[in-house]
Amino acid sequence: MTPLSHYLIFSGVLFSIGLAGATIRRNILVVFMCLELMLTAANVALVGFSRAQGLEGVPVYDAQVLVLFIMAIAAAEVAVGLALIVAMFRARRGVESSSLTSLKD
Amino acid sequence: MDPAISAIIFYVLAAAALLSAVGVVALRNPVSCALSMALCFGFVAAIFFGMGASFIGIAQIITYAGAVLVLFLFITMMLDVKQEEPVSGSRWFCIAGMVMAGVLAGIFCTATLRLPGAKEGRCPVRVLVENLGELDVGNKTQAVPPASPSPYGGSLPALCPEKRGSSDARLLGENLFSHYSITFAILSFALLAGAVGAVALGRKLPRD
Repeated sequence: MTPLSHYLIFSGVLFSIGLAGATIRRNILVVFMCLELMLTAANVALVGFSRAQGLEGVPVYDAQVLVLFIMAIAAAEVAVGLALIVAMFRARRGVESSSLTSLKD
Repeated sequence: MDPAISAIIFYVLAAAALLSAVGVVALRNPVSCALSMALCFGFVAAIFFGMGASFIGIAQIITYAGAVLVLFLFITMMLDVKQEEPVSGSRWFCIAGMVMAGVLAGIFCTATLRLPGAKEGRCPVRVLVENLGELDVGNKTQAVPPASPSPYGGSLPALCPEKRGSSDARLLGENLFSHYSITFAILSFALLAGAVGAVALGRKLPRD
């Protein structure tokens, strides 16, 4: 069987890939997808800990309840965020983060 | 299932999930990014199934690969997003972002491998609790008795569905609606606020 640390390393690398995408990409939609990747990485770590803490093959379900809450919050976040992106597209005619420079100019 | 086979399946699925996550970052077309994200979420859901969290895996498929992905595809097609055009001077920015993410991944890996009890493959929380019990806190009779070490040795404990008594989703639901019922109610208000906020933000802005 796989030790807990391998699940955690997988979760950390997935989080780092999501962070790299959120930093590098300029398309706001792709940045948003990378945020979802980072949330999923957190879920993997939580489920791994729930397995590792449980006794005799029965996981601790508190962590999985937390994963459910994260999923619900992520769904609400996607709804609000995509509405914001549509509003930004109406105002700027584009979804590039480089067009959001009105504070600089 | 044979433990070695399930370990191999986990490594294959993890490699595929990481590859499709790299695809989200590296692909140029936003539609390809969204499809690559769906692939990644599917592999992560398969990993959840392998970890015994079958309800979480199903919820992952339904919410992420179902609802969230369809929303992303709708918005991408509605806005008619063109492919990203490279801007001069962004190469160093890309390299800096990758170096930052690589350093963060290295920090994660070393921190994970240096968790208490990681070399013996034990649960870090259990090791911390045992170390707390060994500490001299003035009241030695309160020391935590060492639990049976067998479930924490080597690797994650094997799943025993017959010891659970009932199904995964049932136990999860009992925990959710007994200990976390108030949190669940608050969460439904958060979802309502999200829906109302999305409608309010989606209106046409008045031109002034």
